[in-house]
Amino acid sequence: MKKSLGILLAAALLFSIVGCQQPAPKEWTVPFLNSLTGAIASIGEYLEWGAERAAKEINDAGGIKGKPVKIVGVDTALDPQKGSVEMARLVKDSLVTLGPVPEPVIMAAMPIAVENGMMSITATTSLEYAQKFFPWTISWFPSTEDRLAPLVAAWGKQFPDMKKVVQFVEPYGPWPGMADAHAKGLSGLGITMLDKVEVPTDAVTFGPLVVKALNEKPDGIVFVTAADKAAKLIKELKSRGWKNMDHLLVFSSADAPELYATGAKDINGIEIYNYINPNLDSPRWNAFKQAYADAHNGQQPPSLSTNYYDAVYMIKEAIEKTGVTGSPSKLKAERKLIADYLQNVKGFHGIMFDWDMKDGIPTNKPTYIFKIEDGKKVLVQEVKG
Amino acid sequence: MPLPLYYFLAITAVNVLLAWSLYLPYRVAHLHFITVANMAISGYSAAFLVMTLHVPFGWALLVGFALGALVGFIVSLFIGDAPTFAVVIVGFTFIYITRTVIENLKAVGGTMGIFGLPNIGGNPVTHRWVIIAILYGLLLVVGFLIHRFEHSRLGRAASAVFVDKDLAASLGIDIKKLGMLVQTASCTIAGGCGVLYGFIYKSFHLDFFTFALVGIAMTIIFVGGYATLWGSVVLAPILYGVPLLFPAAIQSWRIVIYGAALILVLVLKPEGFITRRFVYSIESFLSGNRKKRNTP
Repeated sequence: MKKSLGILLAAALLFSIVGCQQPAPKEWTVPFLNSLTGAIASIGEYLEWGAERAAKEINDAGGIKGKPVKIVGVDTALDPQKGSVEMARLVKDSLVTLGPVPEPVIMAAMPIAVENGMMSITATTSLEYAQKFFPWTISWFPSTEDRLAPLVAAWGKQFPDMKKVVQFVEPYGPWPGMADAHAKGLSGLGITMLDKVEVPTDAVTFGPLVVKALNEKPDGIVFVTAADKAAKLIKELKSRGWKNMDHLLVFSSADAPELYATGAKDINGIEIYNYINPNLDSPRWNAFKQAYADAHNGQQPPSLSTNYYDAVYMIKEAIEKTGVTGSPSKLKAERKLIADYLQNVKGFHGIMFDWDMKDGIPTNKPTYIFKIEDGKKVLVQEVKG
Repeated sequence: MPLPLYYFLAITAVNVLLAWSLYLPYRVAHLHFITVANMAISGYSAAFLVMTLHVPFGWALLVGFALGALVGFIVSLFIGDAPTFAVVIVGFTFIYITRTVIENLKAVGGTMGIFGLPNIGGNPVTHRWVIIAILYGLLLVVGFLIHRFEHSRLGRAASAVFVDKDLAASLGIDIKKLGMLVQTASCTIAGGCGVLYGFIYKSFHLDFFTFALVGIAMTIIFVGGYATLWGSVVLAPILYGVPLLFPAAIQSWRIVIYGAALILVLVLKPEGFITRRFVYSIESFLSGNRKKRNTP
């Protein structure tokens, strides 16, 4: 009697365990906390486009472990209030998320991901923001100083005649820190850094700012402002007789469609640095470029458009190599597996180049300096930090 | 408590308090946008006290209130009886000045902001309950005080100033003192509110305190009803909560929906959803019920 009761209990226990296990979902859902409306909606659009492009490619090739992946755009509208509630919803049952975008939303929403042990890849912000949330995010970039000082020094080395440089700096998030890194690189060459000219976030007239900068009699100028403002400042400079166009350097965050649309012919000859090389000739990149142009009236992919494309492939690799099943009952453990894997990915095949991560920081990503000619970027040199 | 519910309740409470901090000076026809700057000043100061000087949160919160009151009082010495337009200009200017000062203060993170504010009570669950308890306790206290204010001689005086300043002055109302009172009270609320706002997110960034916040509060007040404190109570959760229920496909139309709703309300119901007459009728209905219950 006792034996049969024991067998019955064991069977009931086994049944309850098996019965309680929720099945793994039929597709991999990856929410993307993004700014799809509001002031940076145009950026949010191409970030999302990149992620969805990767998902399409993956699904066309059979999905992740045979299951399709779906990117679900979650609009935070550049609003920390909305971003925090959306993240609070997602941490309940998401395996991994993309975003948030940009810094104010990252600061409001990422503590929720950290508290709940969920990886959320913030692929557009600087290391200085991302590292506060390690190991539950990774940085897409190495430290600002390590990366930018040698890069801008490489630009400066082209022009031995350049002795004094001024920077236009817009006080937004990591940008002043980037300007400091530029200054460090140029000072190392013996170039005198003149007083920075602050460009207010809501600036509408640029003449007085340009006059202020020119009064310092610089030989070179670095622009650390939003794309449209950089274009307007360059137009003002040209109208006031600036000739040495290659002595003007625009920083990466301004490499956006607004720079080319607003600057038009006036930005011919200026130099710009960035992390992707649109002139690369590989089948994967060419297909990406073509698809982007088809979806965006012939435009070239902007600098950040590949970040979430690569991030989706990185998630694919993490799922495939760690044996993650997506089962809700293993959510906590599998989130950790993904986070641990992504912190130290080796030889990741990005769309532009391969790179390694060490403790959440990329170690060997190249950067590039280009010259703008007729609205296109022509490679001047590749710089490795 | 489920996390989304916590954030919904906490941010709704902040929005109601912020709306009240604008509503109060609006009782004397002042649009006092300095409250957003006050949130930033008190919030960053409290974060600095907690993170750098290791001051307990309770004291930092009190300093936040006090700082708000002090800034509000000092400014009110100059604009306590100023015209509406001048008060608006001062408010906007103050937001710019505050942002510029904070951007240049390395001690509070400059443009990067402040990260990693500690959990009150040592763990996230206690933190959330403490934040909710403080916010809703504050809502009750502030709501009660504004309610009492509205039913006092001061509230009636404020109504007179709202309608006609000259007439109010001829009735012996000290317009400047009344303006100073409501402005200081408004800034005190905003100061505490700013501290709590950052501690909800456990971080501070300058873009938490932008003109968008003014927009949110103004929409809450003017659609909810600018003539009574109840308009904000009703509209804050709706304005903030309903879009979260929108399906993803119409999420991106959120701003259009807001805009259309705002225009419709301003055209069809200029006083907002909750009017003073509506509140009086509810009050008289309830007091009628009480009288009936008390009748033997």
